[in-house]
Amino acid sequence: MRARQFGVAACIAVLSLGAAACGSSKKKSSAGSSTTSSGGTVDIYSSLPLQGASKDQTGAMVKGIQLALKEAKSKAGQFTVNYQSLDDSTAQAGSWDPGQTATDARKAVQDSKAVYYIGEFNSGASVVSIPILNQAGIPQVSPANTYPGLTTSGPGTVAGEPDKYYPTGKRTYLRIVPQDRIQAAALLTTMKGDGCTKVAIANDKETYGAGLARLVELQSKAAGVNVVDNTGIEKTAPNFRSYASTVKGKGADCFLFSGVTANGAAQINKDVAAAIPTVKLYGPDGTCESGFTNPAKHGIPATLGKAFKCTVATQDLKAYPGGQKFLASFKAAYGDANPDPYAIYGYEAMKLGLDTIAGLGAKGNDKTAVLAALFATKARSSVLGTYGFDKNGDTTLTDYGLYTFGPDGNPAFSKTIKQGG
Amino acid sequence: MQVVRGFLSRYGLILALAALPIFYGVKDLTGKHPSLAPLANNLVSGISNGSIWAMIAVGYTLVYGIIELINFAHGDVFMIGSFTSQAFWSLIGVTLATSTFGVIGGLLVTLVVAMVCCGTLNVMIERVAYRPLRNAPKLAPLITAVGFSFILQNVGLLWLGGSQASVDNLIHQGSKVFSIGGVVIHREDVLAVGLTVPLVIALTLFINQSRLGKAMRATAQDPEAARLMGINVDTTISMTFLLGGMLAGAAGLIYALYQTQVWFFQGFRGGLFAFTAAVMGGIGNIRGAVLGGIIIGCIQQISDNRIGPQWTDAIIFGYLIMIMVFRPQGLIGEETREAG
Repeated sequence: MRARQFGVAACIAVLSLGAAACGSSKKKSSAGSSTTSSGGTVDIYSSLPLQGASKDQTGAMVKGIQLALKEAKSKAGQFTVNYQSLDDSTAQAGSWDPGQTATDARKAVQDSKAVYYIGEFNSGASVVSIPILNQAGIPQVSPANTYPGLTTSGPGTVAGEPDKYYPTGKRTYLRIVPQDRIQAAALLTTMKGDGCTKVAIANDKETYGAGLARLVELQSKAAGVNVVDNTGIEKTAPNFRSYASTVKGKGADCFLFSGVTANGAAQINKDVAAAIPTVKLYGPDGTCESGFTNPAKHGIPATLGKAFKCTVATQDLKAYPGGQKFLASFKAAYGDANPDPYAIYGYEAMKLGLDTIAGLGAKGNDKTAVLAALFATKARSSVLGTYGFDKNGDTTLTDYGLYTFGPDGNPAFSKTIKQGG
Repeated sequence: MQVVRGFLSRYGLILALAALPIFYGVKDLTGKHPSLAPLANNLVSGISNGSIWAMIAVGYTLVYGIIELINFAHGDVFMIGSFTSQAFWSLIGVTLATSTFGVIGGLLVTLVVAMVCCGTLNVMIERVAYRPLRNAPKLAPLITAVGFSFILQNVGLLWLGGSQASVDNLIHQGSKVFSIGGVVIHREDVLAVGLTVPLVIALTLFINQSRLGKAMRATAQDPEAARLMGINVDTTISMTFLLGGMLAGAAGLIYALYQTQVWFFQGFRGGLFAFTAAVMGGIGNIRGAVLGGIIIGCIQQISDNRIGPQWTDAIIFGYLIMIMVFRPQGLIGEETREAG
């Protein structure tokens, strides 16, 4: 009996050591490329959800970031750049996690060499990280956030935004994607063009999802679209049949899920389509990814994919000014000729940081100078086109891309939706 | 006052149970389009949904009845049943493009595989984690059960990740089979009830009529006396875990087909509802577990549809508290060794 108990104890010890070894090896690999030189070093962090439904998009972003760094030979002017890819998600949540996001931001805050922070992917996560980074004066650039309240007040935001995110009173956050006021208009333009007469919206109650749903509802009248319902859902519910039957009763012929894939997106679309077989389905950039559209990745079935359209700030990668060159470099580096469209935003976020640091010469390791230079960016020529930032930190880019269900089950670029078009 | 107290003690439980359906029935009948069909549709969905909870609840009640352990890992065995089912039917090539007979045949094989896998898993858990603690203080196996629940959740997490995973709607859930007076019976209703009823009847017959079933009942009454009478108590307990696990496997398959999604955390909520069902019906009693499961399924459907899903958990547990106040031993509960 004692021998058996010893055996069980030994097994548990071996398993624990194995788990510890796995954990430590992951930590090492997350450090990314890192070299030092006598010219001084600066540290750059990215914080993105590398686990869960968004991992295809964020994995592509990290590759884009690393590609930009590789092309610059890990240098920004006279400084050697240490880059660390941080993960703001947990396996349990399958999505971003507030605690993990705060941990990532604090890691950068505790690093005196940190001059640039790329993140977050989810607007709700930026609500957590912006105040932490703001107090340390670290410049933050998001390659994906679209919620307007992070940078501006007004329609679609809540009281106190955005000032409550900036405890120092000084702005430290910028983004290179157009915000949701433009995305809401793009979605409404698409729905009107498709002949939607009654639109039902469900949102995931998160900062991004609820905010976008609010904007679509607010802008719907002016766009000539009738929104018959806007409901916040319980994202962990096993099904949404009662909701589907409610919107069916309201005569909805089009359905928009405003949220991210991890928050019950596939299930609610399936349930609404089961209740209203002729319904047209729409999604914003939070669901415009293979984890949602590809049945092989436990997304919606192919039959529903044909009824689905989504908007995302990225256009056809080939159509960007530096798109062809970027795709060729990406293929050469990773062997992938068709990366997720978000790869280019990761690439540009890093390139923007490297160019800004390099442009400051000897002051490139001064985060205050980097921040001022970022806000002073006007008419920057980039792979995304020529853009700058306004005083709130919003990009001057305005185009959204419309995507449909591609032959491989992944979103395929359909056309560009111009602002006001 | 005496009259009111007497009335409440006699009819209070019935009134409490019927409160929600009666309220919404009256509301439907006095509305713009008087009809009881919406309420009846809620109850039909409730019975089919409750059948899944009932099958899991039977597993809780069997184990509690025999070793007085709340097997917290049982809900997660049910989750593994769902994961195994979707993995197996994908492995054998059952997809939306498969013919009807192919789907039926494939799912029958999947049912057997899920039941065998979950039954075996449950027996292994008992052998590894609970049997060595048979004579330990009651808190030891309880906390071990919680530990095993986390281990199984992590297995699910590694298997399919943290997000809900959509699975093929193989039974064309939502399709009408027939309707009577506005009450629609869907395919998923037929599947859930059609599998639960024969499985529970088979289990009841096994326990009442087979030699092992009698051994299980004897062990449940008094393990020491059963041992003295020549019953192999360890084997009997293993058999109990096997049966409970098999039902959890079947419930896992039905859940995956019914909800068309699986999730590593589904066992927590499902397990909690099923455990509540077992307590509501009277823990240790199979008929009570089935009744409790169906009542919870009905409350859940009425709450989801009429009140709002965000209130469902609170309403279900509110009902449990009411039932416990009126009948602490559950609806058709019996005195357990512990209570006696």
